[in-house]
Amino acid sequence: MATRAPELAVGVPPLSAERAVTWPKRTHAKLSNGMQIVLAESHSIPKFHGELFFRSGEALVSGRSVGLAELTAAVVRTGTTARTSRQIEEDLRRLGADLGVSAGQDTSAISFAGLSDFVEPLLRLVNELARDAAFPNTEFERERRQKLEEVKLERTSPGFLASERLRKVLFGEHPYAKISPTEQQVLAYQREDLLAVYREIYTPENSFLVIVGDFDPQAILRLIESIFGDWKGAKPAAKANPSLPDLRGRRVYLVHNPGSVQTQILLGCHAITRKSPDWIPLGLTNSLYGGAFNSRLVMNIREDKGYTYSPRSGVSPLREHGYFSVSAAVRNEVVAASLTEIFYELDKLRSVPVPAAELADAQNYLSGIFSIGLATQEGLLTQFATSALNDLPDDYLEAYRDKVRALGPLDLLAMARKYFDSANMQVVVVGDKEQIQDQAALFGEVMVYDNRGNLLGG
Amino acid sequence: MKPLHIQLETTTLANGLRVVVAPDSTAPVVTVGVYYKIGFRLEPQGRSGFAHLFEHMMFQGSENAPKMQHIKLINSSGGVLNGSTMYDVTNYYEAVPSNALERVLWLEADRMRALKVDDENLRNQRDVVKEEVRVNVMNQPYGGFPWLDMPPVAFRNWANAHNFYGDFADLDAANLLDVQKFFRTYYVPNNAVLLMLGDVDPKEGLALAEKYFGAIPAGAPPPIADSSEPPQTEERRGYVDEKFGTLPAIAAAYVLPRRRSAEWHAMALLDQSLHGGRAGRVYRELVLEKQIAVEADGGIDDLFGYNGPAQMTTRLIYKPEYSADQTLDAFDTVIRDVKEKGISAEELEQIKIKWRSDYYSTLEGGRGGYMPRYGLMHLLACFTLFDDEPQLVNTVLNGFETVTTAEVQAVAAKYLQPSNRAIVFRAPVKNEKEAA
Repeated sequence: MATRAPELAVGVPPLSAERAVTWPKRTHAKLSNGMQIVLAESHSIPKFHGELFFRSGEALVSGRSVGLAELTAAVVRTGTTARTSRQIEEDLRRLGADLGVSAGQDTSAISFAGLSDFVEPLLRLVNELARDAAFPNTEFERERRQKLEEVKLERTSPGFLASERLRKVLFGEHPYAKISPTEQQVLAYQREDLLAVYREIYTPENSFLVIVGDFDPQAILRLIESIFGDWKGAKPAAKANPSLPDLRGRRVYLVHNPGSVQTQILLGCHAITRKSPDWIPLGLTNSLYGGAFNSRLVMNIREDKGYTYSPRSGVSPLREHGYFSVSAAVRNEVVAASLTEIFYELDKLRSVPVPAAELADAQNYLSGIFSIGLATQEGLLTQFATSALNDLPDDYLEAYRDKVRALGPLDLLAMARKYFDSANMQVVVVGDKEQIQDQAALFGEVMVYDNRGNLLGG
Repeated sequence: MKPLHIQLETTTLANGLRVVVAPDSTAPVVTVGVYYKIGFRLEPQGRSGFAHLFEHMMFQGSENAPKMQHIKLINSSGGVLNGSTMYDVTNYYEAVPSNALERVLWLEADRMRALKVDDENLRNQRDVVKEEVRVNVMNQPYGGFPWLDMPPVAFRNWANAHNFYGDFADLDAANLLDVQKFFRTYYVPNNAVLLMLGDVDPKEGLALAEKYFGAIPAGAPPPIADSSEPPQTEERRGYVDEKFGTLPAIAAAYVLPRRRSAEWHAMALLDQSLHGGRAGRVYRELVLEKQIAVEADGGIDDLFGYNGPAQMTTRLIYKPEYSADQTLDAFDTVIRDVKEKGISAEELEQIKIKWRSDYYSTLEGGRGGYMPRYGLMHLLACFTLFDDEPQLVNTVLNGFETVTTAEVQAVAAKYLQPSNRAIVFRAPVKNEKEAA
């Protein structure tokens, strides 16, 4: 707990009357091939930002290997039946465009941005990548080798090692447990594996196109129809995944990182998806706990105690499941002290209703930062894409602020009791075991791993 | 192409504080920034890292808004805030719903007028900064590469060459007297610019600036950093151990032409030819074609944000079966090619279109995705403090549009010389044993 009571500010000017928050109108459409579309105008700059989503990613193809969807995405941009890798990159530059292809657990996506003057040629390139990627063998081999070096390198990053271990613990046999392939898995990838993933996932019926920018939506919609309209392909069959482990009791997982001059703490428990009715109340509870600079956790272990630079907490929603986590990189001497405060603040929210003034501050914060996204094309794209991918109600954005402001202290108490499951929290610490194992053992049975995931002992 | 025009209202208060307002009421959000013309270069010798430590102290309390209140008042108004320390400026900024504008100005004015911190605050933030250095540098693969590795190799003047994050001994030696002196010397209104961007009426914005900042007394003009370097006659090289990473790395950096000279404009486009993403020559040759490197990036970081020696820095992380010499040879082949053959009119045209497109994105968002108009704020601040010409945001593109292929080749031939270059080699101390 804080050792020094904060003093109050004197003479603070009051807030003036709030201006209405008006989200731009969205144009919704669906092509006959199943492609769903959301378009919105934003004239902040003479550009546009878009993303062509596919509603499948690693989790769909995890039965074959780990990381296949991600490598598929990487190779998609390296050649089509009509353009070489070099042509693609130079064409993008000629259009003043940026483009990326990526895959996560639940989606694959081609994201793009460019000058409004060149909407048509950029959409044509996106269409080509989505339908006619050629997967040149030399590019596949090059990307695979780069991936191999990447998976070796990431084992030296404390943040990666912590996330990898927590996901394994929380998700067990579920595909979400694996965030990165092994070297052996990368070496075993075949070009044909990628082609199969591409044919399965990159289809119009599986797709969702969101574009925000300085344009006339009706004109863009006609253009989209003319470019993507004759594309055919069904969405992949849904797949059933194993259920999650029932994690009872607090355990500590120490990933030994010899010579580490700091300890990465990451703890977590199962929580909710984006569609849950608890999303907004849990989000508010989280922002008060560790989701904002002004939150209790930051004020305690950073501003009061100086244990860490960047403590934070958050709810990570995946499509089937979500989890709550708390992270802090702390100096080795204060691992136990930091964990004590992290749990103290969790338990306090589970025990004592939040004072009205603090709740009002957190409500203002969450509803205020929500509208900051209005000011940029990328911010709007993120909001529209999240709503669309999670099938949230049409008025979700418009209703959000009122929902945040309708919450009371007892709602937050209920959220903390339900989701800040401190007694069953799984605790990962990444650091030098000689320096931190005794401290970690105060919080539960300790299992020690090396940085390759091998169990060294308890 | 639509011509760019950003409406600006500017004034200078009697105490020397410059004020810039860029109204745009599309969204009910306003971004406020205060930039002070003080950065790493000017921090006192024996106090490396102090400019950054001091930046942390600016969040620790002022006369009417004690510790924790700055952060609390911005967050509870629905906004976000941060600050950052750079070579020649330090900034403090907030993005808030526009109904909080007056409150934000009050807070910024309070800490410009009367910072109020004690020893406990200083001890606390010294600990926080040490964890920042550990998490970003000492406990990370390639931490500080090359931004902390390069200066001591490339430069001879302490202002440009020291450890900007700070040696821990220097951080420990910093005391409250240093804090007060630094504040009195550099954090004066006549060494700063106040910016308001977004949903603000210009007249009201200027009136509020006068209301809250007008009574802050001016200080003596702060000393100007002598960042001049003695002439360099040969290539400089340095070696740094990589404690965690599995792959060797090289950074090669060339000093830039003088800010806003004709050569500087040409150099910026040459940089795009070399480092413009996957179409750039360095990535294309070293990653895509020769496949020596797994990462090849870099270039000029924050072109407009320097007021002293700056570099174009290539960053290469390469496969272990290649030697440093082989990798550097491949890089030098790219450099030789552009010096000897220049770039085509077609390539230059592509680069100019991409440059314009990137410029628009910088104005809208720039660094820090959660801060609308961060880029516009940064450019306006630097154009005001370094050039006394905020209107440059509307005209600066012209200088790039008119660059010719001959100018690009000439600047390549003149500046891409060993005697203008420094190289840092960062090799893993461990062998492949643990990764095998």
